[in-house]
Parts: sequence; structure tokens; C-alpha cells
Amino acid sequence: MSGARLVFALFALGAALALPTAGGPFWTGLVTQMLIFGLLALSVDLLLGHAGLFSLTHASFFAVSAYTVAILQVRYAVPTALAAPAGIFAGTLLGLVFGLAVRTRGVYFILITIAFGYVVWGVAHRWSSFTGGDNGVTNVPFPSVGGVGITSHTQYYYLVLLVVIVCGLGYRILIRSPFGLGLRGIKASETRMRSLGFRTGLHLYAAFVLSAALASLAGVLYVYYNRFVNPVASAFPISVEAALMAIVGGSGTIIGPFLGAGVVLGLRNWVSSFIEMHHAIMGVVFIATVLWAPDGLVGLAGRLRSRLSKPAERKP
Amino acid sequence: MMTSALLQAINGVSLASLLFLLASGFTLSFGLMRVVNMAHGAYYLLGGYIGLSVAQKTGSFTLAIVAGGAAIAVIGYFIDRFLIRRTGENHLAQVLLTVGVAFVMGDVALHVWGGDNLRVPVPVFLRGPVVLPGDIYYPMYRFALIFFGLLAAAALWLLYKKTQIGAVVRAGVDDREQVNATGINVDRLFVMVSALASFLAGMAGVVGGAFLTLYPGAEWEILVYALVVVIVGGLGSLEGAMIGALIVGLLDAYGRWLLPEFSYFVLFGPIALLMLFRPRGLFGREY
Amino acid sequence: MSAAAIEVGDLAKVFGGLAAVDGVSLVVPAGERRVLIGPNGAGKTTLFHCITGTLKPSRGSVRLFGRDVTRDPEQRRTALGMGRTFQITNVFPDLTLAENLALAIVGTDRRKWVMHRPADAFTEVRRQALEALEMVGLEGRADLPVKLVSYGERRQLELALALNTRPKVLFLDEPCAGLSPSERQRISRMIAALPRDITLVMIEHDMDVALGLADRVTVLHQGRVILEGAPEEVRANAEVRDVYFGHG
Repeated sequence: MSGARLVFALFALGAALALPTAGGPFWTGLVTQMLIFGLLALSVDLLLGHAGLFSLTHASFFAVSAYTVAILQVRYAVPTALAAPAGIFAGTLLGLVFGLAVRTRGVYFILITIAFGYVVWGVAHRWSSFTGGDNGVTNVPFPSVGGVGITSHTQYYYLVLLVVIVCGLGYRILIRSPFGLGLRGIKASETRMRSLGFRTGLHLYAAFVLSAALASLAGVLYVYYNRFVNPVASAFPISVEAALMAIVGGSGTIIGPFLGAGVVLGLRNWVSSFIEMHHAIMGVVFIATVLWAPDGLVGLAGRLRSRLSKPAERKP
Repeated sequence: MMTSALLQAINGVSLASLLFLLASGFTLSFGLMRVVNMAHGAYYLLGGYIGLSVAQKTGSFTLAIVAGGAAIAVIGYFIDRFLIRRTGENHLAQVLLTVGVAFVMGDVALHVWGGDNLRVPVPVFLRGPVVLPGDIYYPMYRFALIFFGLLAAAALWLLYKKTQIGAVVRAGVDDREQVNATGINVDRLFVMVSALASFLAGMAGVVGGAFLTLYPGAEWEILVYALVVVIVGGLGSLEGAMIGALIVGLLDAYGRWLLPEFSYFVLFGPIALLMLFRPRGLFGREY
Repeated sequence: MSAAAIEVGDLAKVFGGLAAVDGVSLVVPAGERRVLIGPNGAGKTTLFHCITGTLKPSRGSVRLFGRDVTRDPEQRRTALGMGRTFQITNVFPDLTLAENLALAIVGTDRRKWVMHRPADAFTEVRRQALEALEMVGLEGRADLPVKLVSYGERRQLELALALNTRPKVLFLDEPCAGLSPSERQRISRMIAALPRDITLVMIEHDMDVALGLADRVTVLHQGRVILEGAPEEVRANAEVRDVYFGHG
């Protein structure tokens, strides 16, 4: 990492660590959410930014994982040490099934993931005897492993921060690996990759399952933060917003999805204090991003940087 | 038991009629213009609400249908011209953009018409039951919907297969370069097809709002059904939209009857099967 | 008698009502340099697509060293030794030249599945990539994204990619297309210098380049083989001249 980047990273880390003391419970809570949804957005971006697949079903893995943890802890008194991995496992298992979608490409893939997402939402909604219907599952405790437990939101924030940093580092290794390079090759030209010997379908399937696992982890973090889960967690807007966060922040980067989560959640929080129209605001952000900032904040920052370092060319 | 099964079949076919109205526009928009318009559900809802208000003010159901359709045709035109047009053939951008539009439309509708379940008033001659052979009582409206759907399907079919314009559209769905080369004003063709698709969606809202009611969130629920119809039938195919609508309508009716808690699963099953054996849908093509 | 490198049996590909390839049979012995010529629309690229697996033929068979690969997907054929270049340059624009080659190098082996080590750490792959780039004179541009290099250099990269999948049979689709005369010469020399244990099947428009490199020439017209023989035979043949310069 270059000098400037390192300084920036250290500064960000310092700020993150000091947040609860400097910002109080409101900001701690908001940033926790940004980290959790940033992780969800990161999982979507593994497919979008690297493999070129636009999945709109990731809320499914997020929610299935959250429900699994909630139901196990609340109804069956299963301890965190088992419930959390079970949640990730359940979401990943769903990923293995929904991964069927990679038999299609382009528009078909997008539509199919939307349909899959609705199946999960529909089940969460209608299978009320199991999922609690519209009310969902409430009273989820804070996580605790072997007697050592989280007792405050501040502590939970640090836990989430740690998990996200570890995931970020792991993600970095993954995207720089030959497998990650292969995904970018497929995104650029699937036909060429096949003619080079790559089993592109299998590659994409593996990426899909990995991204489902990451989304499931985000779901686990979510349910312990929220302390309840209901069908809203599996709803289409969550999946779309996750994609939007990745794009607004900068698809194809590691920090982009988190920046995007910051922007989207921050904006929503700010706007809803004076107008109750957050879907419309989200809609406008979607439209504005697509039309004017398709490579997101990271892209804008890049363009700004190159414009500042190049003196303006004189027109002849 | 037999009667129930028959009743469900009628339910399914009447839902299929509604879904066909919505899906046909969506699939033709894609086939000809390669546009994925996720705001179609919002078109349905807004058209329904507008029709509702018109019906309440004028007492005319017919006027409501026409108003709902026309209003959406106009709104759709502007969305097309000033927003969707700018995304070219970037499907990801189209999805995000039109979802954004749908979010905005949904919130606007919420503020104007509120959050309660509203029902589009139906004319007297369509209310009450119709008595079918075997002494079965069935809602007249839903029964009439089947005929309305058949009429719409027949009209679209004739338009598509038997007219000059239809021939040009079919050629365009097959190969856009071809249409460009013949010197026909492609832009105007696109506008017409797009307007028709929007009109159908708005009209569907009024028609659907009379028995499914209108409420926030309905725009996404109906859109998902329409998407499944299009996935099963194949993008760009009118026959696909018809057959897909029938399959989805019937599956939904039987699903709700036999497995109410899992009824969304019955949508999943066929898609999963399709993924395994025919990813492009029954009548779809490689895009 | 050992099996021919490539054996195509009555291959056809029909689009809508049109037969782009209309019953082509071909036998290319191992080590031969075969050139396919024919006017535009003769079906040459479509034939290539069917042989390498990019397209599914409407009928016919393809054998690679005696092994029936007609039902094998494209990536399997590459793993078995079929390499190809594309007529329209098909490289990875946002990746660097070295990364492009790395993909070609690991494409046919297990290393492409590694998820826990950075691709850079594979020094052997990097060395091979740099060597390959040196062969085409591009080693100085190894870490530039492809979109920043010239068309001619991309065409060279295209060839380098195909060479690095360890092919036993190489299908070159108009390798010199769009190149300046000096670039053409460079590519021709590279191709001519390829070892004889790689069988070569090449589509080429430029008659001189084609006839200079070929052991044997197959002439395609409207999806069918109209003549096959030694370069001089083909050059002298009246029908071929008609097809190319007359009313074909």
C-alpha cells in the first residue's frame, strides 16, 4: 500500500476506534448499520464488480441467516456459538440452491434473482407459524460465547468493526487471487475465457456461493444488532439498496460498498428527519447515480484526482 | 372436491388474464427495444389509482380504464424519453433507474391515495355472482375478466401477426438492424410500442384494482408475477406471455388452495426446473 | 497410422434458413499448416466456431487426434489441446497484458481455482507471461492495461494468448487482419517460426501470406469446400480465381 493510502487507512481506523466516545450512541448505532449493510453490499459487489453478474436476491441470504439465528436463539435457546454458524450455513445452503441462476446471463439472470428473492419474502410472510409472519421473531439477545457476552451497543460496534476488517482483508486476498482474476476475465469476455479453458459456469457458481456466504454473515451481524427480524429484511428494496450502495460507493473496489452504505444510510437518516418519503429519496438517488455517477464515489474521486494533477489543456 | 378444483382453475385463468395484460407489454418492450422496465408494477398501481379516482368522480368504469391507461401512456412516454432513453442497452442501469422511478411513483401514490386497501368500483352489471353449470356460484367480475383477457389477447395477437405494423415489430424483435435498413421510422415505432405497453399496464391496474385492491406494495407483488410469466414464457415472445400467464395463474391458484403457507414456492418450482433444462424460457431466445 | 490432428465430418451449421456451413469435411494431418481461404461469407469463421466449440453445429462431427469432441464444450476442447485466436480481437481490455497472459497460462490447469494467494505470488506464471510477451516484443508493456496499447499490439497479444494455452492444434482466424505491412510481416514470421509439433489451421484473406505459409490450402465458397490442394495448384486454378475476382 502506498504511503498516502496507509496514512489514510490509519486515520480511518483511528476515527473508527474513537467513534463511540466521540460520537455517542446515535453515531455508534448508525455506523454499525453502515458496516453491516456495507458488508452486504460488498457481497453483492463480488458478483457485480468482479464477475459482472447483477444479483437482486442477496437479501434472501441475509434474511435466511438472520431468521435462522433468531429462531434458534429465541425459540430453542441455542447458544450463539452454534446459532451464528448455523445462520451462515443456512444462508450459504440457500446460495447453493439459488446459484442455479448462473445458468443464465444478463437480463434473465437479473429477473430470476428478483423472482427468487420474492419466494423467500413470500415464505417469510406467509409461513407465519414458523417465521412469525409480519411480526417476525423478536427479543433476540446479544451474542455471547462461553459466558463472555456483549452487553452494550458500543461493545457490539467494536465486534462488528473487527469482523468487517477481517472480512475486508479476506476479500482483498480473494479478489487478487487467480480465482478473482478469472472472475474479472469472465466479466470482460466469457467467450474468451472459455476458449482459454475456463469452466466459466462453475467459476460463476463458486463466486455466487461465496457471495451468499458473505451476505449470510452480514445477516448474522444484522440480527444481533437489530435484536429482531421480520420479512422486511428479505424484501426486494434491501437487495436493490445493497446493489445501489456498491455502485454509489464504487463498484469493483473494497471500500466502495462501505462508502456507498454510508451515503445511502446517512442520506436516509438525514432526510427522514424532515420528510417522510424515504423511498422516493432512494429512488432519486438511484436515478441520479445511474445518469450522472455510474462509477460511484471512488470513480468521481479518481476523476477529480486526475483532473487536479493534470494542468488544464488550452483549447486551440 | 371437483368443484373446488374447477373453481381454482377459473381463478387461475382470471389471474392469468390480468398477468397477460401486464406481461405482454413488458415482454414486447424488451423484445423490440431491449428495455427492462421495472416500473411496470408502479405503472399498474398508479394507473389503478387514477382509474379509481376517475370512477369515483364519474361513475364510469369504462372511462376509468381508459383514463388509467392513457395517463400511464403519457407518463410512460416522458419516463422513456427523458430517462430510460439515456441508458442505451445497459440493462443494469435500466433496472436501477426504473426501480428508482418506481420508488418515486410509489411514494407519490402513497401520499395522494393513502395506505389503505382501495377497491376500484365495479359497474352494477359486473357485480354479484354468476351461476355456472353444476350450480357453482362464482364472482361475475372475475369471470368477465377472463373474457376481457381473451379479447385483449386476441386483439394483440391480430395486431402482432396480421398487420403491417405487427410485421415490422416482429422483424424488429428478430433483428433490429433489419428494421433500420428498411427506412421505417424506428423511433416512432418504439414510441408506439412503448406507449401501448404503458397503456396496457395502466389499464391492468384499473382492472386488477377491482378485485385485488390497490395498496402500497401491490406494485411489486404484481411485478414479480409478471416477471415470472416473462421468464417462463421467454423474453420477447407474445405467445410466451400468453402461455406463461396461464401457467403462473393456474399454479398460483392451486398453490394458494393446496399449500397456502408455501404458495410462493409454486412459483419457484417451475423457474428452478426451467433453469435446469431451458434457461431462456419456453419461447425465449438468446440475447 | 496415427490419427489426424483434426478430422471434420460433414459439418453443417444452419441459421434460420441459411446454411453458413453446408457439409464440410476436412482432414488435417498432425504437424501440417493448413490455410482456409474463400471470399467473405464463405463460412470460414463459422466453421472455426463449430470446430472449437463456440457454436453448436447443426450436424456433423469433429475429431481431435481421433477423439470425438463433437459433444464437448469449448473449455474441454481447449484443455484437450485446441487453441484459437478470434477474427475480432477478443482480449481483456481492463486487465494488464501480463494479467491477460496469466489467464491463458492457468486456464488449463488447477491453479485457476486458487483463492487464497494473490495471483502476483505465482512467480512461475509471471515469468512465463513475460517470456511470452518478449516473444512478441511486448515485454515493456507488460503492466499496462490492454486498452492503452495499439491495435497491432493487441493482435499480437491475441496470438500470444492462444499460444500459451499449450495448444496441439492452433486455429488462427485472420491473424493479420487490420495490421500495417510491417506488423503483418512480424506476425507471419512468428507463425512461420512455430514448432512443427503444433498443427496449424489458419483463415487468411491475404493470398500471398496464405500461400507463403501453407502446406496445403482448402478453398471454401458458400459454405462448401470447392477445392483442396497444394498452394501452387490453388493459385493457378480457374474456379478459385472466378470465385475471388469474378462473380462468386
